[in-house]
Amino acid sequence: MPHLCVAALTGLLLALTGCGWLGSASRRPAPLGGLANSNRNDAALSGDGRLLASLIEDNGTTRLILQEQGSGRRLALRHWRRQTPHSSPSLSWNGRYLAGLVQQGEQRRVVVEDRLNGRLLRLPLPGGGQPERLSLAPDGSRLAVQVLRKGQWQVEVLDLNGLLEPDLPGATTVLGGGVPPP
Amino acid sequence: MRVWPLLRLLLLAVALAGCMPAQLRPMLALNRRLEQAGSAREPALSGRWLAVIGGRGGREQVQLLDVERGQPVPLPGLNRPDAQPLSVGVDARGERLAVVRQLNGQTELVLYRRSLGLLQPLAIQPAGVPRRVQLRADGRQLAVEVSRNGLWQIDLITMP
Repeated sequence: MPHLCVAALTGLLLALTGCGWLGSASRRPAPLGGLANSNRNDAALSGDGRLLASLIEDNGTTRLILQEQGSGRRLALRHWRRQTPHSSPSLSWNGRYLAGLVQQGEQRRVVVEDRLNGRLLRLPLPGGGQPERLSLAPDGSRLAVQVLRKGQWQVEVLDLNGLLEPDLPGATTVLGGGVPPP
Repeated sequence: MRVWPLLRLLLLAVALAGCMPAQLRPMLALNRRLEQAGSAREPALSGRWLAVIGGRGGREQVQLLDVERGQPVPLPGLNRPDAQPLSVGVDARGERLAVVRQLNGQTELVLYRRSLGLLQPLAIQPAGVPRRVQLRADGRQLAVEVSRNGLWQIDLITMP
């Protein structure tokens, strides 16, 4: 019986290793981009991993930055400059859409920047309330928002179909595409 | 001659529509279900999946919902009564969940594979305390906030 147990365990380990489950994960710090001594938090990766959004502490406020993950190069975010502090960034598959929370006076607002055409969408919440966190679906079809209602945290999901064009992973088509292969 | 005033009105309407804030449509049935389940926070949307940390009476756990069916799905082996989840991320297939949780006085980062019901701790190296995690939509990489030497940093962890 002990031999059977050892054999079964060995088989399980081999199977898991074959699945990559026990393979080691590799870790590296986010690209610095001249930010070595700044607090950074609330990171969001685009679905394809090309872009990284995060928050930095800068001149007494919290500001969103967007970087290419490979080179660390910072990308311009002209719409977001005067609406700090920023929070809760979220990116779509190819990084076309960048959603987050901005401060406008006393109110915290949900915004989505369409980086393809430079448009900034302000999205008022149908039920009101102050948004605390958000998450944009990678294809841009939905948005989940955490709000305080009746003294407790609630998450509401909102349908964005018709507001945003889909941002799909590479080589995915929505319509057409010719005759399917046999 | 009466065309011009109409055209002007039309142009004005189009211009105003461009300035109007976009309208969001709540997913009512799903939102009702979330509300009935108690509190919910730290949402992570990916594909047809919504992961949240929620519960009733202060006992929180990681929950995964199929947004299209409006139904929660089981996560055997992930939640335990003595752990407090802090942050969760999910991939677009709903297969991998990354969770930061407190257990036995330690804060740890774990990766859960739903089809296998298996939980794998992910080491933070150099040592640090993780806080908020986000999993890339393809599930191949995660970004996690780590407190290290008095500074918050972002670690990127690539998984096989």
